[in-house]
Amino acid sequence: MRVLDIIHDANANLWRSKLRSFLTILAIFVGSFTIILNSAINAGVNDFMDKQIDNMGGDGYLEMMPTEMYESAMNMMGNNGPQEYTEDKDNSNASSYIKDDQIEKAKKIDGIKVFNVLPNSTADYVTSKKTDKRYRININLVVEGISFDMSNGATPNTDKNADYEIAVNEDLAKALGYENVADIVGETIQIAVPNNLKCYTATKRSECQTIVDVKVSGTQAPGILSMGGSRTNLALWNKINEINYKGMPAEMNRSYMATADVEPEKIKDIQKSLEEIGLKAMSVEDEVGMFKTFFDAILIVFNIFGGIALAAASIGIINTLFMAVQERTREIGLDKALGMSNGKVFLSFSAEAIMLGFWGSLFGIIVSYVVGQVANTVATQTFLSDFPTFKLAIFEPLTMISIALVIMFIAFLAGTLPARRASKKNPIDALRYE
Amino acid sequence: MKNVLLSTRDLKKIYGKRDSKFEALKGIDLDIQTGESVAIIGKSGSGKSTLMHLLALLDQPTEGTIKLNGKVTSKLKQRRLNRLRNKEFGFVFQSFFMNSNDTVLNNVILPLKIAGVRRKERRRRAMEALKIVELEDKAKNKANDLSGGQKQRVCIARAIVNNPKVIFADEPTGNLDSATGAKIEELLFGLNRDKGITLIVVTHDEELAEKCSRQIRIADGQVVEDDKGIAKHDPSFIEDANADGMRDENHTKEIEVEEQ
Repeated sequence: MRVLDIIHDANANLWRSKLRSFLTILAIFVGSFTIILNSAINAGVNDFMDKQIDNMGGDGYLEMMPTEMYESAMNMMGNNGPQEYTEDKDNSNASSYIKDDQIEKAKKIDGIKVFNVLPNSTADYVTSKKTDKRYRININLVVEGISFDMSNGATPNTDKNADYEIAVNEDLAKALGYENVADIVGETIQIAVPNNLKCYTATKRSECQTIVDVKVSGTQAPGILSMGGSRTNLALWNKINEINYKGMPAEMNRSYMATADVEPEKIKDIQKSLEEIGLKAMSVEDEVGMFKTFFDAILIVFNIFGGIALAAASIGIINTLFMAVQERTREIGLDKALGMSNGKVFLSFSAEAIMLGFWGSLFGIIVSYVVGQVANTVATQTFLSDFPTFKLAIFEPLTMISIALVIMFIAFLAGTLPARRASKKNPIDALRYE
Repeated sequence: MKNVLLSTRDLKKIYGKRDSKFEALKGIDLDIQTGESVAIIGKSGSGKSTLMHLLALLDQPTEGTIKLNGKVTSKLKQRRLNRLRNKEFGFVFQSFFMNSNDTVLNNVILPLKIAGVRRKERRRRAMEALKIVELEDKAKNKANDLSGGQKQRVCIARAIVNNPKVIFADEPTGNLDSATGAKIEELLFGLNRDKGITLIVVTHDEELAEKCSRQIRIADGQVVEDDKGIAKHDPSFIEDANADGMRDENHTKEIEVEEQ
């Protein structure tokens, strides 16, 4: 008997008891729908996370601060309990900074491609010619070797001698008077930078501020992790630092932060090595981790529901096929009398089980796809309107096919019991059966 | 010269064990020649159906041997037995055993489908078989919509679709009135006569049995009457036969005479 005939007959046999087959397929559908939609949402969230990670510098990006600073920050948050004071340890938050020997050692660690020490740079506000309003600004440095996911324009030029450039968040671009955010690319905006020394004595803040003209190189889509920060290039960052510390002793212009571009595969080892020289390094994953763990937990719960539904559906398959074997006893007997082997009888009932799984998962894919698309549309219009790049559910064909295959395999396993009974039937007894 | 197609020696079939033991066949010796039409006659419970099942290789004997074309069938693997039944045998049953929801054509096609014949080819052959039973115009009808006689003709078409050497017919007219029954008989004997298909009919209908070239009467699991008896064409059996002293000298002579 040919494989195509077996598949064709299996389908035809399912059609013979429509309601029963439909109900069994429905049970499988419930399980497959849950699991498929889950995996689509999982893919959507992961994709979103990946984009966020890219926005923060990618897989190979590390941010460092002195360990004692990290620990005292943790102590302030009360995470570590009371800490004993010791003379040999630098217990002051203010005096902990990244020391020269730490920089030397860090640069020698295997896998670190670029190591940047970030001088401190702070700016007060940003404004543009298109608006009277001034907005507080939180700046970050675009580190060499890392590219960002830009919605318009380009990543700021990281060359030390480049023009002053900044990438702004789309929301900020709108606030600065560019309703069409793409228009801000190439425009010049104004950033107010304070001088720390003058500001001690100034009566008005504006007396100690310097206005710097900065070119906007591009915009970034809003994301939960970029938190509205704007990204300056190294030239601007250094300029801001220079203004911040002008007239102050060099010892005060210390760095608390460093970043590194490392080989992503070695990131855990590198973090450990940095820890040994007194630098607490956080990868983007560490920072996103919490959020992701929460999402994963929800998805696991839903997948368990899907799994339970599938287990129940498997029992349905077993039941349906046992009934079919009973009903078709005479037919099985005839098939065997006419020379069908036990193996082929087994196969034909297994094919029926697999077809049940096939239809169940096919409907699962179709319906969850439709639901996913509707949810995507609704989400982007409502609660996810701030995150245009976030697609709630992403349907990857390969994932869908593998889920369908797994469900068909489960159906096959469920079908082995009745199929075995069918194959063991004695043709004479089966033909006598009325 | 005729060939021995099927032969049995000391064929026994015992159902159950120990106390509930029931001997359905108590040692059957038969030689069936190619092209014969044989009636196996007996009351219900005589063992005639059991004998047919054994001859048709649907069941294994408890003791004794069955030879098909001179080969001992108990030595054959299950796969080979399945193929033999599929290619060499045709079956006609009293209660038809058709897939009543399927079309006539698909019912006839079944043995070819099991054999793995290609779609186009098996269609062609099934239509040919339906032509022989004069039902080609009903090919697309549902089997359920046919009359009893038509159903049995479909079964005959199914039995001959694979060009078998033997047709086993178990009470082929049992469920039919005498007029339709006569038509079925005509068909079966026509196939026997024109195509040389060996016909083995199991029946308790004396009239049907009369029309066969040979009658074998079974009672209580034993042959009580056989107008042809055992032929000694197969020398390998002589030893067995002498050993168990079952051979009747007269039988041998009769057949030798017939052969000349």
